[in-house]
This record gives sequence, C-alpha cells and structure tokens, in this order.
Amino acid sequence: MRTYHLTISTPDGSMLSEEVSALFARGIEGDLAILAGHTPFVTTVKAGTVRVELADGSEKAATTDGGILSVSADSTTLLSGTFEWNNE
Amino acid sequence: MGADIKNLRLRIRSVDSTLHLTKAMGLVASSKIRRANDAMLKGREYVSAVGEMVDTLTASPECAKSPYMEKRDGNRTRLIVIAGDRGLCGGYNANIFRLMREYPDAEVIPVGKRAYERFGREFIPAEGFSRADGYRLAKQLCEDFCAGEFDRLGIVYTKYVSIMTQDADIRFVLPLTRNESAKESSILFEPNEAEILAAAIPEYVSGIITASARESFACEVAARRMAMDSAGKNAEQMISDLTLQYNRARQGAITQEITEIVAGSGV
Repeated sequence: MRTYHLTISTPDGSMLSEEVSALFARGIEGDLAILAGHTPFVTTVKAGTVRVELADGSEKAATTDGGILSVSADSTTLLSGTFEWNNE
Repeated sequence: MGADIKNLRLRIRSVDSTLHLTKAMGLVASSKIRRANDAMLKGREYVSAVGEMVDTLTASPECAKSPYMEKRDGNRTRLIVIAGDRGLCGGYNANIFRLMREYPDAEVIPVGKRAYERFGREFIPAEGFSRADGYRLAKQLCEDFCAGEFDRLGIVYTKYVSIMTQDADIRFVLPLTRNESAKESSILFEPNEAEILAAAIPEYVSGIITASARESFACEVAARRMAMDSAGKNAEQMISDLTLQYNRARQGAITQEITEIVAGSGV
C-alpha cells in the first residue's frame, strides 16, 4: 500500500511524524479517510477517535478534542489542541 | 578602631547572607532551565507547524478576502507584553519595558507580575502560563480584531538566543500577511474557507501566544541564572576584600595594644 508522511502536532510537542498508509478521523461533514495521493484539502476535525494505519500495517488509535487537518501535495498535518494515544 | 572592626564584621555577615540568597535563586533557576527549554522547543515546533498551514491558507485566493488579512490604515495597536513574575534576573524585565517605550499609545495586555504592576488590567502569571490562558486570550483578541476594535496585534516577548543572550523583541501577529514564498495552490475547503479560518486563526494566535510565553519564561530563568551567578561572584569577591580589611584592622588593633603595653611598662 502506498504511504505518505503524516505529522500530528500539538502544543505539547509532536505526537507523530512518520510514514503512514491511512488516517481515519471524524471531519466536520462526516467520517473521512486520507490515503496517499489525496487532493489538497483542509477541514476541521471533531472531537473523538482518530485512527492511524502505519506503514508496517499496524494500527494506532488516539483521542483528540478536535483540530485542523490539512493535506497538501507533499505533507499532511493534523493540528490539535489535545491529542493522546489510547494505549499510552 | 573597635567600632571599625565591628562594622566590618557586620558587613561581612550581611554580604554572606546575600550570597546564600543568590546561590539559592541560582540553583532554583538552573533546575527550571531544562523544563523551560523543553517547553519552549515544543511550543516552537507547534508554531512552525501551524505557521506552515496558515501560510498555505493565506496563499490561497479564497482567503484573501478574510477579515484577518485586511490591512487597516488605523494605528490602534494592541500588544501582549510578556515579562517575568519576579525580579533579580538581570536586564530581563528592563529590556522589555525599554522596548515598550517605542509604543507609548498601544493598548497593553500584560502577562507576568512585573508587566501587570506596570500596565495594570487583569493579572496573568508568566510562570505556568497555560494553553487554556493562551486560547482564551487568542479567542477574545480574534473576535475583537474582526469587530474592528484594533488594527494590529503584536507580542512583546524575549527571544531566546542562547543561555547567555536573550533579546527583547516584538512580533506582529494580526493582520496576517501573505508569505510570498508560499506557492499558490487550489485547496478544497470543507465546509468552506470562512469556517476553516475561523477555527484555524484562533488556534494559530493562541499557539504563538503560548509559545512566546514559554520562550520568555525560558529566557527569564536563563537570565536569572546568569545574573545570580555574577551576583554570587561579586559577593564572594566583596567578602574576600572585606575579610582582608577586617584582618588588617584586627592586626592593627593588636599591634597598637602591644605598643601601648610596652610603652606603659617603661622598659
């Protein structure tokens, strides 16, 4: 599966900065998934669960209080006020 | 002679207690340096991430009409002034206030006890400035800016260069300026650019405010550490000078006494 670089940044530091194959989140207009090669896109993310599928196929889930997701040709960034991995 | 010796002894004791104080404050500052630096770096990282996104947003033609990008002719400036909660940190607070003299007409929002004492209004502590404080402030400021209550927003803070050097600086946050190097691209906004900007800009402003407060605090502890170091050195130097004087005076008194006894015995 093709991968892309995802950065998840919060005021308490970067939570993730690596190659992933997919990101699932709840956008303002419904659930969405971002795969590699997505068109440039900006939306707000609602509070809830965010799932990330890493390049090696494993999956990580996190809880966020909402944020902004921005996809551009060369980078994808999720900015969030609070973002916590569920198993940590 | 006797009074002189007593005075010297008192002065040595008082300088010694100052030395204890500077040492303790220096130690407290050094223990805070690391945590303050970590917080500063994390804040910087977040600001650069949000900044990149805001650059992309402002480069898109849809956002050019946003009230956040509107350049206004007026000169009503609102400044967030970040100073320390305490003194005894060298020129840290003084440099901020010196820079403030260039903006005598600005409306000031003080952060830190020293700024609060000088400019009044609501007290927000500089140490332990939280993200919630930053967000609350940013939200209010963004609303006021859109309502046209002021024309530009700046932050007066201290820039961390190294542990030895910190510079008082000002950065203007609103209105947003287009970063010329950002390439124009057509972006899909969901639901629309106005709502995205309404969510992104307060987040951006709050990120910058919080990061500036953390950077300033890192500067404050670094400045205090350096100031206490040199104050400690001065105190030690003073004690050694005074001890020398004290010993000389003591020696002088003894010599005089012996001379008097010898003279009195009539040998």
